[in-house]
Amino acid sequence: MNTELIVPLLAAAIQSGTPILYATLGEILTEKSGVLNLGVEGMMITGALAAFVTAQATGHPALAFLVAGLFGAAIGAIHAIVCLWFLGNQVVSGLALTIFGLGLADYLGTPLIGQTAPGFNKLAVPLLHYIPGLGPILFQQDILVYGAILMVPLLWLFLEKCRWGLNLRAVGENPEAAAAAGISVLRYRWIGILGGGCLAGFGGAYLSLAYTHLWTNGLSAGRGWIAVALVIFAFWRPGRALLGAYLFGGVMAFQLRLQAVGTHLPSSLLLMLPYLLTVAVLVFSSWKSKQADAPAALGVNMEPND
Amino acid sequence: MTGDHPLIRLERLSKAFGPIYANREITLDIHAGKIKSLLGENGAGKSTLMGMLAGRLHPDGGRILIDGRPRLFGSARDAIDEGIGMVYQHFMLVEAMTVAENIFLGHAGGLRLKTEEMERQVADLARDVRLDIDPAARVATLSMGEKQRVEILKLLFRRNRVLIFDEPTAVLTPQEAQQLFEALRRMARQGKAIVFISHKLDEVMALSDEIAVLRKGEIVADMPAAEVQTKEDLARLMVGRAVILQVKRQPQETRQTVLRVQGLNDKPLKDIRLTVRQGEILGLVGVAGNGQKPLVETICGLRRPQTGQVRLMGKDWSHFHSDRRWDGNLSYIPEDRQSLATCRYLSLTDNFLLTTRQGFCRGPWLQRGKAEKRLRELIQDFDIQPPDPRAEARQLSGGNLQKMVLAREFFRRPRLIVAEQPTQGLDIAATEDVWQVLLKARERAGILLVTGDLAEALSLSDRLAVMFNGRIVDTFEADNQSKIDRIGLLMAGVTDQPAEPAPVHVT
Repeated sequence: MNTELIVPLLAAAIQSGTPILYATLGEILTEKSGVLNLGVEGMMITGALAAFVTAQATGHPALAFLVAGLFGAAIGAIHAIVCLWFLGNQVVSGLALTIFGLGLADYLGTPLIGQTAPGFNKLAVPLLHYIPGLGPILFQQDILVYGAILMVPLLWLFLEKCRWGLNLRAVGENPEAAAAAGISVLRYRWIGILGGGCLAGFGGAYLSLAYTHLWTNGLSAGRGWIAVALVIFAFWRPGRALLGAYLFGGVMAFQLRLQAVGTHLPSSLLLMLPYLLTVAVLVFSSWKSKQADAPAALGVNMEPND
Repeated sequence: MTGDHPLIRLERLSKAFGPIYANREITLDIHAGKIKSLLGENGAGKSTLMGMLAGRLHPDGGRILIDGRPRLFGSARDAIDEGIGMVYQHFMLVEAMTVAENIFLGHAGGLRLKTEEMERQVADLARDVRLDIDPAARVATLSMGEKQRVEILKLLFRRNRVLIFDEPTAVLTPQEAQQLFEALRRMARQGKAIVFISHKLDEVMALSDEIAVLRKGEIVADMPAAEVQTKEDLARLMVGRAVILQVKRQPQETRQTVLRVQGLNDKPLKDIRLTVRQGEILGLVGVAGNGQKPLVETICGLRRPQTGQVRLMGKDWSHFHSDRRWDGNLSYIPEDRQSLATCRYLSLTDNFLLTTRQGFCRGPWLQRGKAEKRLRELIQDFDIQPPDPRAEARQLSGGNLQKMVLAREFFRRPRLIVAEQPTQGLDIAATEDVWQVLLKARERAGILLVTGDLAEALSLSDRLAVMFNGRIVDTFEADNQSKIDRIGLLMAGVTDQPAEPAPVHVT
C-alpha cells in the first residue's frame, strides 16, 4: 500500500476511534470509583440522539454537544440511583440501561431517519497540517477529536495528581477504608457515574455531529461495548485507552474500506472484525495482567451502616 | 494531662441488633495520658461499643460526652473531627496505594497532590514517633506489623487525641507486639488517650493503666490495673465463672505416617518438608501470611503441587485426591468456616451431608432421614445451639458453627486432620471443648494444627514446626524448652542464636 491509501485510512481511524475514546475514558472514571456500568452503549446512543435533535433545533453544534453530555449523565443517574441508593445489581442495571437507551433512541429517532443536522467540520491547524503524512492524519480533524485527546491527560491528572482523584480511587479500591478515613463513598461514586455518563454522551454526540451529520437508527453500533472491553485492555489507564481506541478505530475504518473496495469476503465477516479484535484483546489483557489492575472493589455495592 | 476529668465519657450507651442487646447501658470514662484496656470475650460487645465511639454505629440510647460536652456522631467523619481514631482488626488500608497516599487519604488540603512533599511529611512523622516505615512503599507489599504502623501513623497524622486499638496483637509476632506496646506507652506519655481492646489477659495485665471488663454487653468491672491481683481474677470476671484453660495431654504412641511432604518448592513455599504420624499433633505456628495457606491448600487438594512430593496415607497426591473415600481419610477444618466449610443458606442437615453424603447413599438416592437422625445425635454430643437440624447455617453463632463442622468432620473418622485456626473467634468455654475433641481425635488420627495462637499450639502439640516466609524454619519436640523460649524469634525469621535472647511474650 502507498501513502495515498494509508494516510486517509489513519485519518479515518482517528475519527472512528474518537467516540470510543470518549466512552472508554468515561468508563475508566466510573470503574475507578468501583462501579461497573455496562450501560455505556445506552448512554452513548441517548447522547447521540440528544445532540442531533438539539443541533437541528438550535443550529448550535457546541450547545448540542453539551446537551449530549447532560443526557448521558441523566441516563447514568438511573444506574446511580439503582445501585447506590437501592443496592441493585450493577450488571443487571447496566444491561437494562443499554436496552432502554437503544430502545428509546430507536423509538424517538425513527421519524428523524435520513435527516441531517449542522455539526462540526474539519479544522486545519495552521502550518502543522502541511506536514506531509502526519498533517492530514493529526492536524486536519474536527475540534471534538482534539477535545478527546485533551481529555486523556486531564483524566490522568485528575486520577493521579489530584486529591479528589485519590479519594475516588480509594473508594474504588476499598470503600470501607475510604469511609473510615471520612470520605463519602456515595458522593464519589455519584461523581464517577455521572462523569462517565457525560463522557459516554460526548462520544455519542461525536457520532451524530461529526462522524456523520445525519441520523440513522443504531448509530452507536456496538461502540459502547467495545469501550467496556477497552477499559480492561487499557488496564484502567487513560494513556493506553488512547492507543486502544485508535486501534479499534483503525480496524473499523479498515473494514469499511475493504467493503467499499469489494473483496471476495462476505461483508458480514468483515463486520465481525472489530468484535473479533475485542475478544482477542480481552484474552490478551487477562493473560497479561491477570486483572491485577482492576479496582479491587469494582462491582461491589457498599451497604450503609445502621 | 491529668486524669481528673475524663476526655471522653460514655453515658448509659445502648445498642441493639434486632432483639439482642450488643451493648446495654454502658458507662465508661477515658482519660488522656492513660491506657485503658477493654477486656471481653468474643461477642461481649467490645467492637460494637468502639464502633459507636468511632462514629460507625449510631447508639440507640445514651450519649457520648467529649470534654464534658455531649456529642452526636453522624458518621466516621464526625468522630475523626473530634480526634477519635481507630485501628481496626482488619486494616482499613487501600492495598494498591502507597503508605503516604493512605495516610493523606481523606485529609483536608490543597487540590494538587504533591507526592514528594507528602512522603517527606510522613517520613518526618515516622521518625518523630519512631515507627519505621518507607512512605513510598505500596501497602500490598508490607508485612502485617508494618501495615499496623501505617494505621497508627494515619491517626497520629490527624493529631488524634484518642486512639482505639481493636485486638491489635492478633496479627503480630511477639516481637512486633512488644514494639507496639512500647509505642503505645510512648503515645500515652505524650498525652494521648489509648483504648486497647483485647481478650488476651497477659497483654492487658502488662500494658494497662485501667481495665474495664465487658461481659454480654455490660460492664462488669472497671478498675485501675494495680488493683488486679491475678490473671485468674480477670478471667473469672470476663467469663463469669472460674476457668483454667489447661488440657491434659497423655503421650500417645505414634504409628503409621499419614502425611509426608518433601521438597515442596511452589511459590511462595520454599523446600517444605514435614511428616505427620497417627497419634500426634504437629503444631504449625507462624504469623498469618507466611505460607501456611498455600501449604494447607496443597495438602487438602485445592492446589496441585508442582514440585516435590506430597504423600497422604502412603499414596501419591494425585492418586490420593482423585480417588478419595469419604471416611477413614482426610478431614479439613478450614479457617474460614462461614464460606469454605459451610453454605450459609443450607440447613444443618444439608451442610452435614456436604462431606458425608457418600455414607448416606443407597444407589443414586440420598437418605436424608437417616442423615438427619444421625445429625441429631451429634448435635447432642457436641451441644450445638440451636439443636435443630433444619436450622440454616447462618443462624448459628461462630462457636456453634465450628462445633458443627468438627462434629461432621469427626463423624468421618479421619486418619489425617488438617485444622486451621480451629478456635479463632471462639470463647473460652468453646475453645476448651474444641481442644478436648482434638486431643481425643489424636488417638486415631494424625493432626496438622495450623494456628497463630501460641498458647493453643503449646497446649496441644506433640511437635512444633515454625513457618516464616514460605519456609519451615525449625521443627522440634514440644518439650524442648530452649527452642520454645525462642519461638517468637523463629516466627520473625531469626534462626541464628542471638547475642542476648530477646524477651518473649507468650500469650
